[in-house]
Amino acid sequence: MTEISISDEDFQKFREFFYRKTGIYFDDSKRYFVDRRLSERIIRTGNSDFRRYFNFLRFQADGNELQALINSMTVNETFFFREEYQFKCLVDSMIPEITKGKQPGSRIRIWSIPSSSGEEPYSIAMYLIENWRDLDLWEVELIGSDIDTEALERARRGEYSPRSVQNLPSSLLHKYFTSLPNGNFLLSEELRQAVEFTRVNLMDPAQTRSYRNFDIIFCRNLLIYFDDVSRRQAAEVLFDALVPGGFICLGHSESMSRITSLFRVRKFSQGIVYQRPEET
Amino acid sequence: MAFVRRKQDEPIPPGDRRSRGRDLSGLVESLRSEDPAVRRWAARDLASYPEATDALFQQLMVEKVPSVREAIFTSLTLIGAREVVEGLMELLRSDDASLRNEAIEAMKNLPEAVSPVMESLLADPDSDVRIFAINILESLKHPNVEKWLIEVLRDEEHVNVCAAAIDLLGEVGSEMAIPALKEVRERFPDEPFIEFAVDLALKRIGES
Repeated sequence: MTEISISDEDFQKFREFFYRKTGIYFDDSKRYFVDRRLSERIIRTGNSDFRRYFNFLRFQADGNELQALINSMTVNETFFFREEYQFKCLVDSMIPEITKGKQPGSRIRIWSIPSSSGEEPYSIAMYLIENWRDLDLWEVELIGSDIDTEALERARRGEYSPRSVQNLPSSLLHKYFTSLPNGNFLLSEELRQAVEFTRVNLMDPAQTRSYRNFDIIFCRNLLIYFDDVSRRQAAEVLFDALVPGGFICLGHSESMSRITSLFRVRKFSQGIVYQRPEET
Repeated sequence: MAFVRRKQDEPIPPGDRRSRGRDLSGLVESLRSEDPAVRRWAARDLASYPEATDALFQQLMVEKVPSVREAIFTSLTLIGAREVVEGLMELLRSDDASLRNEAIEAMKNLPEAVSPVMESLLADPDSDVRIFAINILESLKHPNVEKWLIEVLRDEEHVNVCAAAIDLLGEVGSEMAIPALKEVRERFPDEPFIEFAVDLALKRIGES
């Protein structure tokens, strides 16, 4: 590959720009990662250096390159049944509280953001089918959202590598997947139909405005990429996306209490989740 | 299975103004709505309007709902202009402790806008405000933090302000702070707490 040089000043300029567009802040330790991906995009778009590419990026009317860049800068590594204890918490603790306040047959809305290539929302669907015996009595709406359009496309396709499914019990792998000649696994049509995927930038108020009335949100390992202000902004968006009394699950290393005091901490036997207070 | 898709033609709930036109005057009007959710969304959307700074501060003075206050503070932080910092500085003098604390938190996130006023905050006639300024320095990502703290140790007369600066230097200080720490210990020979705090700070910096 041709060498593209990214100076310290280029890096700072790019970091500011990317932060303003996405809320994602790359600290100095991510320099190598950012340089490598930037160089790839500079070459792929036929630009000879950072300065030309940056102008192209900023002034391109359709924004396609910005989206391509976001796709390459976001990390999509995940797998089925990651942090499974939270799915147990969903079925054993959160859903019983949510259904207590609803008429049987009414709708329960669950949002997975970032959904990446779909492993998380599909895991939720699978877990509900396998472990919640009252599932048929309710309407469950599952939405998976991500900023990365390529990840969303992979999610809709439902084809996964052996690594993605390595945590699944073999009984579930056989039940819900078909082996493909290339060694990958294709998720059943039935499960693929259970989740709707949408493109959302959590930092864009125009895009998040219509996301509301969710009973449960899974937002795991996203806020760690944001700086303090963006984290708070994201927390406020998630707060308004929930119904009063709704729950939000973060990744095991994340804490909502360090970001905002808007949510109540709920300690269930399976783990800690956060709740929008009823009276708000 | 009981999975369903979103109904595409679901009507917008009555009273939900988030889907309507969101111009400056409409948002400022919504900021005074009786419904906290409407106020919260207006506050959030006003982050794109620096000219709404006054309206946001006015609402802050009467706002009682924590989630709306939080949204106002976040929007003010995102606007981040000089007028915002001036308004936040005024809040440091408020009798309402939570307003003061939230102003401190907001200012911590505005290093570029706060740095030009830091010296005047550290020279404020009110010692409480000077202590709040040190609280801001606690997480202000700015290269001058240590320099400002050293100046406090050299110039400040109030023992509590010095104590706050010593504490913080124990966390963020380098060898550069050692002479000023030793000098401040000499300036307050009758304050055992200062001696204790300086020794601790020196130990943390690596000079025992």
